[in-house]
Amino acid sequence: MDFIQNTAPHLRKPNASVVRMMRDVVIALSPLVVLAIINHGLRAVWIMLVAVLSMAVTEYIYYQIHDAINRNREGMENLFDQLAKLKKALKEAEQQDQKDTLKKQIAEIKQAISEKKRESKREENKRFHPINKNFTLYNYSILVSGVIYGLTIPDATPLAIVIIGGVVAVILVKLIFGGMGQNIFNVAAFGRAFIALSFGGLVAVANHVDATSNATVLGELVAAPFSETGYSLTTMFTGIGLPGTLGEVSAMLILVGGIYLFLRKSFDVFIPLVYVGTVFVLALATMLVTDAGWWFPLTHLLSGGLLFGAIYMATDPITAPVTRPGRIYFAFGLGLITFVIRLFGAYPEGVVFAILIMNIFVPAIDFPKWSHTQFNWRRAIIFTAVVLLSITAVMIGAESLAGGLNG
Amino acid sequence: MIAKTRKVSDYKQLNTELPTVRFVDPERVYLNLTTSRCKEYTLDVKAGDHVKLGQIIGERDGCFFRQPVYATISGTVEDKVTMIDSTGIDVECITIRNDFKDTYHESITDRPDSVIEKMTQEEMVEIIKEKAVVGLGGSGFPSYVKLATEETIHTVVINAIECEPYLSSDYRLIKDQPDEIFQGLSYIMQAVNAKQGIIAVKKTKTELIEVLEREAERFKHLNVSIAKLGDYYPQGWEVETFKNATGIKVPSGDLPMKHGLLGFNVSTTESIYEAIKHNLPITKRYITVNGDGVKFPQSIRTRVGTSVRELLKLCDGFVDDADKLELVIGGPMMGTAVKSDNVVVTPTTTSVLVFRPIEYKEEPCVRCGSCVYSCPVHIQPVSIMQAVKRNDVEAIKGLEANKCIECGLCSYVCTSKIPVTDYVKDGKKKIG
Repeated sequence: MDFIQNTAPHLRKPNASVVRMMRDVVIALSPLVVLAIINHGLRAVWIMLVAVLSMAVTEYIYYQIHDAINRNREGMENLFDQLAKLKKALKEAEQQDQKDTLKKQIAEIKQAISEKKRESKREENKRFHPINKNFTLYNYSILVSGVIYGLTIPDATPLAIVIIGGVVAVILVKLIFGGMGQNIFNVAAFGRAFIALSFGGLVAVANHVDATSNATVLGELVAAPFSETGYSLTTMFTGIGLPGTLGEVSAMLILVGGIYLFLRKSFDVFIPLVYVGTVFVLALATMLVTDAGWWFPLTHLLSGGLLFGAIYMATDPITAPVTRPGRIYFAFGLGLITFVIRLFGAYPEGVVFAILIMNIFVPAIDFPKWSHTQFNWRRAIIFTAVVLLSITAVMIGAESLAGGLNG
Repeated sequence: MIAKTRKVSDYKQLNTELPTVRFVDPERVYLNLTTSRCKEYTLDVKAGDHVKLGQIIGERDGCFFRQPVYATISGTVEDKVTMIDSTGIDVECITIRNDFKDTYHESITDRPDSVIEKMTQEEMVEIIKEKAVVGLGGSGFPSYVKLATEETIHTVVINAIECEPYLSSDYRLIKDQPDEIFQGLSYIMQAVNAKQGIIAVKKTKTELIEVLEREAERFKHLNVSIAKLGDYYPQGWEVETFKNATGIKVPSGDLPMKHGLLGFNVSTTESIYEAIKHNLPITKRYITVNGDGVKFPQSIRTRVGTSVRELLKLCDGFVDDADKLELVIGGPMMGTAVKSDNVVVTPTTTSVLVFRPIEYKEEPCVRCGSCVYSCPVHIQPVSIMQAVKRNDVEAIKGLEANKCIECGLCSYVCTSKIPVTDYVKDGKKKIG
């Protein structure tokens, strides 16, 4: 009988699993994909397919190269270490004879490495290894990023642009930082922001023949912030016939997915609650100082990518803080930045930018010196003061904006 | 699953239904002469000598205390052997062959109640020290140190929580010997002059509550109450038990005695009774044999010094179809996996668990935060793990890794199946 000596604890929670969490996100997103296909037909199928494949294929190729290099180095790690040391010494060496001996040694080690490469498993290395253990399709991570990225893209965007965004996002944000779990920015949000900034007008909503207007709800709001849009709240809730990106239009289906994730505990419900709540309260405060009606906060709540971003993008645990107070600060920051961009910025939509900006602050929120797992009175008072100050600032800003528009 | 987890599932029925098996007469017992605390020892007997139950056969030598070794049976001394103790380290043991007569040593005499009534704290501490009573919850901390406290103690809390899953040895003890527990509690209260006694037990264990409440009625003059606490892990952690049973929060790093509280494990209480009333050292204890790797799990009352191999034989041995098993001494959350089944029952051994090992696939950490939400001392295991990986001592200090009680919840809840607890333990070592 063999006895295995694992460290304590000897039990693990059965349904705690990354794969389960990621699979749940895919399941929660699937109604949105179906709706996108109903709304936009084959166009949506192409965009989704291209978005997912551009990310997955890039990652696969990257890890194939990564593995091939590592396989080549297998069993020769100490030789490479020596080589690196000698090269460093060569850089620091001053006298000519010292340099010569070092160069000689380097040549010897290079020789040894190439000989070893020749003899060791050369045939084995040449073979193609289709299975790659670093590839994150098996735990749905890259699929989640791809589907979310695809759903944030407007239907008239050229496929080439979708590919560029996907490839750049995966390489720059995920792979260079060390793969899954190491990224600082949300992959999907970065891809979306990248194509929006690089290709501006091409990332656009198609003209709908049957719709009364072809501008999105937020597009109308940026032109006239305090006058009611041409869409009813019911249209915005169901998302049928509403122009917009592939997946962001239906508040109803997004909420259904959110409830599913909440029941399965596959995301932290505090982030979307605080995020959406912050935007709603700020819009409410703005409503009080301008002559906009009740439609104003409700429109901000239901339109654009707010619900989608809050439920599927901001809750990406890798790019969120780890403590509950940290997550609340993070979500509040998201809400504030989103609303400020929407009301005062040049862009109609602020969700992806808010997520990217707040991603930068995550290491600061989690900094060991001041990160904390519990609220106490002092922290609660400071946070409340910050919240109240932000509301006041937004109210003052909104009042002068409304005054400027009227006068 | 991003959630605060406090419940550790038992996965299957505990073996509380079966009667306790009495296995008090093994062929040989092995008495450990060294422990993880005491590396040196002196031995007063040699092979061939006849010893009696309760006779001092040697002395363990720790750095700051000495602890006598008692024979737990009567019989003939044989060779020294090396075995494994409950902490997983090799200890030297002396073998005694049982003569099945249980002849008591002359020193083992009952104290009449009238004598005990007049005893002072110092006298009781002296007996506890002499009889080598240690914390039987698993810590093995000498009990006389606690009992000799000079602080004013208002409440004595008896910890009968047993929050680790699979374990039922304390459960057995309370069902079989509630009277002894109350006697032991009364001695402790007399020693420290406490006004109030509390026995903390899980509210889900209704059978125990019934037993304890009836006993409390009988010992009315003691002013003992039964605190029914929530069924979660780690409820049995001393600070958590104190907080929920008395409402007093003992800050990290403080001794509970400073706050007027004195806590003892329920098994320790029973052995304090044996020591004071019968002048007996710890000779017997309850052991749970459980897990999916053993054929017939059950609870056993056995002699201290019994070989675990014999206990496993009593439970029909390991399952046939497994070629690899995990043998855990102690609870599944904090216990130690040992390298072979050559294990000896020491006073601090609470259980023998045999698991079929499950190999989990470790994924990269996604910072889901489950470990942060679940941590009973409110530190951030994931951040400590990252700080340990990059060897950042300042950050480990800032994250208060020293508060960790090594309960194992962070590894338990980890969605990526990372052994987070190991990293935090490493971090604790790094900051000393």
